[in-house]
Amino acid sequence: MTALLEADGLVKRFPATRSLFGRPTAFVRAVESVSFSVKAGETLALVGESGCGKSTVSRLALRLIEPDAGAIRFEGRDLLALTATELRAFRRKAQLIFQDPYASLNPRMTVGQVLAEPLALHNLVPASARRERVEQILRMVGLEPRVARRYPHEFSGGQRQRIAIARALAVEPKLIICDEPVSALDVSIRSQILNLLRDLQQRLGLAYIFVSHDLAVVKHIADRVAVMNLGQIVETAATDALFAAPRHPYTRALLSAIPVPKPQAKRSRIVLQGELPSALNPPTGCRFHSRCAYVVERCRVEGPALIADSTGHATACHRVAELPPADAVVPHDGGFSPALEKLVAAFSLSTEGPARGGVDIVSASPRAGA
Amino acid sequence: MTASPLIEIEGLRVLFHGDDGRVTHAVDALDLKLAPGATLGLVGESGCGKSVTSLAIMGLLPKRSANVSGAIRFDGFDLLQTADTTLRDLRGNRLAMIFQEPMTSLNPSFTIGDQIIETILRHRGGSRPSARERAIALLRRVHIPSPEKRIDDYPHRLSGGMRQRVMIAMALACDPRLLIADEPTTALDVTLQAQILELMRELKAASGAAIILITHDLGVVAEVCDEVAVMYAGEIVERASVDELFAAPQHPYTVGLLGSIPRLDRRTDHLATIEGMVPNMTRPPTGCRFAARCPFVSDVCTEAPPPLVEVNPGHDSRCVKAPLERLVS
Repeated sequence: MTALLEADGLVKRFPATRSLFGRPTAFVRAVESVSFSVKAGETLALVGESGCGKSTVSRLALRLIEPDAGAIRFEGRDLLALTATELRAFRRKAQLIFQDPYASLNPRMTVGQVLAEPLALHNLVPASARRERVEQILRMVGLEPRVARRYPHEFSGGQRQRIAIARALAVEPKLIICDEPVSALDVSIRSQILNLLRDLQQRLGLAYIFVSHDLAVVKHIADRVAVMNLGQIVETAATDALFAAPRHPYTRALLSAIPVPKPQAKRSRIVLQGELPSALNPPTGCRFHSRCAYVVERCRVEGPALIADSTGHATACHRVAELPPADAVVPHDGGFSPALEKLVAAFSLSTEGPARGGVDIVSASPRAGA
Repeated sequence: MTASPLIEIEGLRVLFHGDDGRVTHAVDALDLKLAPGATLGLVGESGCGKSVTSLAIMGLLPKRSANVSGAIRFDGFDLLQTADTTLRDLRGNRLAMIFQEPMTSLNPSFTIGDQIIETILRHRGGSRPSARERAIALLRRVHIPSPEKRIDDYPHRLSGGMRQRVMIAMALACDPRLLIADEPTTALDVTLQAQILELMRELKAASGAAIILITHDLGVVAEVCDEVAVMYAGEIVERASVDELFAAPQHPYTVGLLGSIPRLDRRTDHLATIEGMVPNMTRPPTGCRFAARCPFVSDVCTEAPPPLVEVNPGHDSRCVKAPLERLVS
C-alpha cells in the first residue's frame, strides 16, 4: 500500500536575526532532515517538547510554509511542484485543526456560515443543497443541526472544537492534521473529542497527523509515533512497540516523566537535567547529548542516523545496542479494580446510544432535575 | 487528622455579583482542614471553584464584586476577619502562593533578584546585601545554575521552567507554613513538569510546609499529594487519602474523571465521557449538582442537596448512592 503522504528530508530554517540590509545572519534550525510517511486511514503522532519543531513539520506537510530542502508527496504527487490552483485543490484533501478553538473560528460568522464557506470555496455542493449538507456535518460531529444559526461565542470549548472538526470534515478530506487538538480542553471534554476523532476515522477512513506533547493521549489515539527532539526525529515505531520498549534515551525520559494517576505505581523516573538547548545554536553531534545520561565522546561530534530494524522501529542513537533495557518506564500493572472498571463502564454506556453528544448550549438554562 | 490543623476552612461561600445583577455561586459551604506538613490536592475542571478557593484563602478576591463568608482559620487568625495590613504581613511570609503562568506573575521591568529581595526586606527586614545573599541561596535551592549571575537577569531572559523556579524561590523566601500552588506545572513540558514536581517534593521534605496543590491533572495529584479533595460546581464532592481515592472513588464524578483520562497503564478503545455541561452557577440545581450528568441518577438525587458524609474512615463523599460498589455488585 503506497503512502498517502510522504515527507523526505525536510529542512526548514527561519531567519532569527538580520543584517542592516535584511540579509539573515542567524537561523533557527527548526526542522533538520525529517522524513516520515502516513498511510491512508492511519494516525501518525508527532511528539516532543515545545520548540522541537513538531508544529513546523505539520505546516510543512501541508505546504503552508515552504521547506528549504526536501520533498513532500501526497498520493504520489510532488506537492512542491504544484501550481497555485493545484495547491488549492490539494488543500481540499488535507485539513488542519488547531489547538485553540476560540482563536480559530471567526466570531462574526455563524456556525452555518463557517461550515458553508469551504463548500462554496471548493464548489463542492450547489448553493441550494448547502444547508442540508451543513446539518449533516453537524450531526456527524455530535452537534444538533439547529446550532447552525449560532455564533462561536455561544459554545463551550469542547463544542467549539467540534465545530472546528466539522469545518475540516466539510470538504471530505483524506488527511487531517490535528495540532494539539485537545490540549486546551478539560479532561472530561477531552475524552469526548478523542472518542469523536477515533469514530470519525473509522467511519470515514481518515488519516491523521496528530501533533501533541501529551504521550498518554498519543498512546490512546496513534498507530505510529515519531518522537522529535530539536528539529529531528529521534525514534519512530508502532505505538505499542514504542511504549512497550522505548529505545532512545530521550523517549525513555519523556515516557518516564508522565505522571500516572496511580499513587503506588512502581516505575523508574528519569528526570532530565538541564534546559532544552536552543534551536538557534543546537549542540553538535547528537542534539540530545547535552541532556543524555549515556553520552560518550562520539555523540558530541557525530550526529547519529535514524536506523530502522526489521520491524520498522527506528532509532537515532549511536549507543542503542548497548543501552540497558528500559524496564518499568511505563507501568503495566493494569488500571482499575474490577468494581471500579464496572463503574467506569457506566460512563461509557451512557454515551453509546443514538443520543450521543447530549449537546447543550452554554447559555441555555441548566438542566436541573432533568 | 490527629495534629491540630494548620488551616481550617469552615463553610466558605463565595458569591460573585455580576454587573448585570446576576449572582454566581462560585464556592459553596466548603469545609477543609490541612495538617502541618501535609499536601492536599484540590482537583476539578475549569470553573469548579478551586482557584477561587485559593484566592479566598489569600484574601485576593476583589472586594467590590466578591462576597466571601464563612471562616478560614490559619495560625490563630480568621483570615476573612483580618485587617488588610495584617494580611499583607502574612502574604509572602507565612502564606505564599505560586501561580500557573510565571511570566505574568513576575514584573518584567525588575530583575528577578530585585523581586526576591523585595519580599525578604518587606517581611524580614535586614540589610540589602544580606537579603541578596539569601536570594542567591534560594535560587540555588531551586536548582538554578550559577545563581550569583542569574539573580541580575530580567524575567524575559529565563525559560518557562526557570521562571517557575524563580516563583517557587520567591514563595519560599520567608519559609511559609502554607504554600498554595495553583496549576504550577500546567504551562510546562512534561520533562520540566517532572523537574518541578521533584523540586516540590524535595522542598516539602526539607521545610515541612503544608501545600495545597490546585490542578486538573490527576496524574500530578497521584505523584505528590497525600490527600485529595475533588471539587465540582463549587462544592467538594469527595475527599480522601490519595491511595483511597484512586483505588476506590466514592463519587460518580471522580469515577468519570478517572475513566476519561487516557493512561499509559491501561488500554481502552473508548474513553469514558461525562456528557452534558456544568450547571449554570447563577442558578445552581436544587439537588445534587452532578445529577444531570450522572449515569446512576435517580429521583432522590434531585430532591435535596446531598450532604458530604463519611463512607469509609477518612473518606467522604457527597453522593447518596455511596458506597458505589453496591451499584455494580
